[in-house]
Amino acid sequence: MEIRPIFSAMMRSKTGVILIALQIALTLAILANALYVVKDRTSEANRASGVDDANVFMIAVLDKDTNGIIARQQRDEDTLRSIPGVAGVALTSQMPLSQSGSSTGVQVDPKAQDSQVNAALYAVSETFVKTLGLKIVEGRDFNANDMLVIDQSKAEKPKVTGALISKDLAKTLYPNEASALGKVFYQGVGEPPIEIIGVVETLVSPWGRASWNNNSNGGDSFILPARFIQPYNMYAVRTEPGQRDRVMKEAEKTLLALMPGRLVVENKSMDQMREERYRGEHTMANGLLIVIGLLLVMTASGIVGLASLWVNQRRKQIGVRRALGARRADILRYFVTENVMICMFGIVIGSGLAIALNRAMMSELELQRLPLVYLAMGAVALLTLGVLAVLGPAWRAAQIAPAIATRSA
Amino acid sequence: MWNYYFVLGWRSLKRNPILTTLMILILAIGIGASMTSLTMLLVLSGDPMPHKSERLFVPKFHIQDMRGYKAGDDPDFQLTYIDAKNLLRDKKGKAQTVLYGISPTIDSGRKDLPPFFERGMATTGDIFSMFDMPFRFGNGWSADADDAAANVAVIGPELSEKLFKKDNPVGKTIRVDDRDYTIAGVLDTWKPTPKFYRLYGTEATSRPEQLWLPFTNAVSREYRNNGWNNCSGDGAGPGYEGWLKSECTWLQYWVELESASDAPRYKDYLNAYVAEQKKLGRMPRPEKLQLLNLREWLEDAGVVGRDTKLSTWMAFGFLMVCIVNLVALMLAKFTARSGDIGVRRALGASRKEIFHQYLIEAAVIGLVGAVLGLGLSWYGVHILSSRLAAADDFYQIDFKMLMITLTISICAALLAGLLPTWRACQVRPAIQLKSQ
Amino acid sequence: MIKMQQLSKVYRTHLIETHALRGFDITVKEGEFVAVTGPSGSGKTTFLNIAGLLEEFTGGEFWLDGVSVKGLDDNARSKLRNEKLGFIFQGFNLIPDLNLFDNVDVPLRYRGFNAAERKRRIEEALGRVGLSSRLKHYPAELSGGQQQRVAIARALAGSPKVLLADEPTGNLDSQMARGVMELLEDINAQGTTILMVTHDPELAARAQRNVHIMDGTVTDLTQETQHAIRHVAETA
Repeated sequence: MEIRPIFSAMMRSKTGVILIALQIALTLAILANALYVVKDRTSEANRASGVDDANVFMIAVLDKDTNGIIARQQRDEDTLRSIPGVAGVALTSQMPLSQSGSSTGVQVDPKAQDSQVNAALYAVSETFVKTLGLKIVEGRDFNANDMLVIDQSKAEKPKVTGALISKDLAKTLYPNEASALGKVFYQGVGEPPIEIIGVVETLVSPWGRASWNNNSNGGDSFILPARFIQPYNMYAVRTEPGQRDRVMKEAEKTLLALMPGRLVVENKSMDQMREERYRGEHTMANGLLIVIGLLLVMTASGIVGLASLWVNQRRKQIGVRRALGARRADILRYFVTENVMICMFGIVIGSGLAIALNRAMMSELELQRLPLVYLAMGAVALLTLGVLAVLGPAWRAAQIAPAIATRSA
Repeated sequence: MWNYYFVLGWRSLKRNPILTTLMILILAIGIGASMTSLTMLLVLSGDPMPHKSERLFVPKFHIQDMRGYKAGDDPDFQLTYIDAKNLLRDKKGKAQTVLYGISPTIDSGRKDLPPFFERGMATTGDIFSMFDMPFRFGNGWSADADDAAANVAVIGPELSEKLFKKDNPVGKTIRVDDRDYTIAGVLDTWKPTPKFYRLYGTEATSRPEQLWLPFTNAVSREYRNNGWNNCSGDGAGPGYEGWLKSECTWLQYWVELESASDAPRYKDYLNAYVAEQKKLGRMPRPEKLQLLNLREWLEDAGVVGRDTKLSTWMAFGFLMVCIVNLVALMLAKFTARSGDIGVRRALGASRKEIFHQYLIEAAVIGLVGAVLGLGLSWYGVHILSSRLAAADDFYQIDFKMLMITLTISICAALLAGLLPTWRACQVRPAIQLKSQ
Repeated sequence: MIKMQQLSKVYRTHLIETHALRGFDITVKEGEFVAVTGPSGSGKTTFLNIAGLLEEFTGGEFWLDGVSVKGLDDNARSKLRNEKLGFIFQGFNLIPDLNLFDNVDVPLRYRGFNAAERKRRIEEALGRVGLSSRLKHYPAELSGGQQQRVAIARALAGSPKVLLADEPTGNLDSQMARGVMELLEDINAQGTTILMVTHDPELAARAQRNVHIMDGTVTDLTQETQHAIRHVAETA
């Protein structure tokens, strides 16, 4: 390998070298950070909700009065169940990723003043777990005997004794235990204990990862077997595969028909709620991917341009080398080596820039520290791109005939 | 002379269409990306009431009890019913108001328009002048109407057109949740950018609500807050009465002062109020309250999200790479014209004149790139507005952005052209002439 | 050393067929110093290119140092060129971005010598042409004559069997030219075969043997003809 002479010859036309190296450096700085952000946003947007997304939808109705509401809820549920294609129905107070609902502080020490964890509160009927398709990994599901009715207009409220919690919440409340099953938690100081009768694998909160709750990844949820007495009622419905859209339309018609003066407030599928919640993440990731793509194209074309220029400028020289005994492969190798040197030069500087950029963004934008694997990925990508880009001009250089050497200048 | 250079630059660009197109395209894409994100950043961080933002304030009290308290915790940004009533009663500001969200049903009475939901605000009559809300017909309700919890309403232009077409509905009634309200006024198109008065519970990128009812009236009808509710401590007691008596914060309070210099005095009043409440056993936390003016409030609420800032950083980084690329292309282009330069120098052009000529050529690229880049960013802003903002005309390119785009584009092109132009000047006439 | 039999080279384009060399026969023995003369367009350069394995030929046979060159692929020819031949060009053809040491180094790198061997050969070759003090200089800093001497050092460094020179003094003034010729004669005296293309009869006269190329065919000039040509040149 003739590294030293290649390097010293290359250094005689510094401008081109610096321009390409600078372009690679800046590209790497942006690429590494952008890749990380894309990965972060995409993995949040693709996180499991715990729900059978494709087949679940939510329909919410508003009635004028609250008389006989419990019976009405049950009639609504039965009516929905009778629609062909429906696999499960449940009353619920909120839906995951719907961006609307309630969360509350929970704690394991009944007396502690400051150890509250913020968790999403789902108040549901006993078919909730099956309807959403949640997976119980420990303990049991609710049954009809667990169900309570809570009237918020009354002072006396029935005490909830047992709840289901998500595995994330179990880990948050009892990080050092293998299992939280059978343990208790409290909804505040002086509140009665609530026993954990079961753990579901995943149930994301209505907000997912939220900026107002930085301590959590959005997966802390607990489920109470309780029907609220209120004029606004939300039902979760699960359908057979492929039936969802049709069932949604029918559900609206049948529920409206049941009560005069009733209004359907919302009728939305899990897919749509998910899309709305993560539209920002998707847009950000897509935008960054476009930028990354453009950067790579620009870098590649810059390398092709400079390499072609150099091949043209060095035609005579290449012929002379061939005359002196260089084979085609030697010429190819010369240009690729030269290119790799420039790329490495750019990558080294770019790595420094990437980390510096990341530091700046950490302090100004509350970004996380860049994991070095993204830097490595970016470096490998750029190096590969560089070599691929130079192959064209390098191959053309290798085709230059040795006879050029004897041609008069 | 500059005219001549402009013409030369233009002609030279036309002579090598591929290279020129490439240069313009690269600059345009860089400008498009950076200006799109800059537009979004500037729109979000704009001042929606520039002539008044110094005089509009939001107080933030530490209302929550000591549970979960950590030093440095943020105060509450909304008020309890108790506090709102007290502050409204005291009337220590030039004007004050509270807001909370309601979503009642509107019954048009027409067969072709079945009952529908409308997102609305419950507020006091002061709000219309406080926020300079424009009226198309009529005006807001008086303080008497607030005191009487009257059945009056102010509606927005869309709702008015939906129910009454182009007619003036002042004096007519609108049926809200089975009760008739007299329409006192119809608002004109109002686009506060961002929607500052209710950042919690709605999107800052959404448009104003279409139904405005007196706060006292909404409370008398036991309307709950359709927005952000924060109940700490023991939560609310049973029923609506329990809700009103609780330490739950659900009301957004705004005060207008005579001038910004009145702020310290108002703050003193608030501090005295807090001291009073502490004697009653409320507001136990030790930290001081905050009084934020409109701009501070926007900053505090984080209206300009992290992703908007991140996009802007990335986009400008991208622009830098475009500029580097542009330098290389211009270098190639100008170097190929060494013969032309040599001849000009031989014919008497000074270095400075060559410098000017080529710099102008770079500026021409900047100009064309700006136009194309502006088109790209208009398109980008339009798409992102419909995808990301609650109102799809939220992000707009105004005249200021246009000027910024032009300036940045020409500067970028000039910056890129510096090295190639300087190189062009170094061409020695003798050598160029000889080699031909 | 070099033996060509009935060599022919035809250039074909769409419309025209050019016979650059036809029925070319020549034998050059080891240690000979042969000058190749002829008018421009006669095929001198083509002959040199073929002899130097820079170009392929259309018909006939060609043996270099006992090896038949016909049908060798590009890699094999490059290797042969690298090991057996040395080139000296009219335009010197030094690589401007490399210093003298690195310029002479170029063919040695392709040979595969290790660093120590290369260093020894470079220093020896540059010493032989009298430029060992200017190792780190760049070609632009040297006079024409010095550049040509570096080119000669480059050609010699690999201990070639044959030195091919294409108008080696064409770009030099008479004093530098004389120096280069003396160097060539010296090299030939030490055993290297030299094949020199020139249109300068004075230079041709200094070679042992002259061949004349005209219209693609070669004629060996007899001693008398050579003598006559020299005489004509002197009295002109």
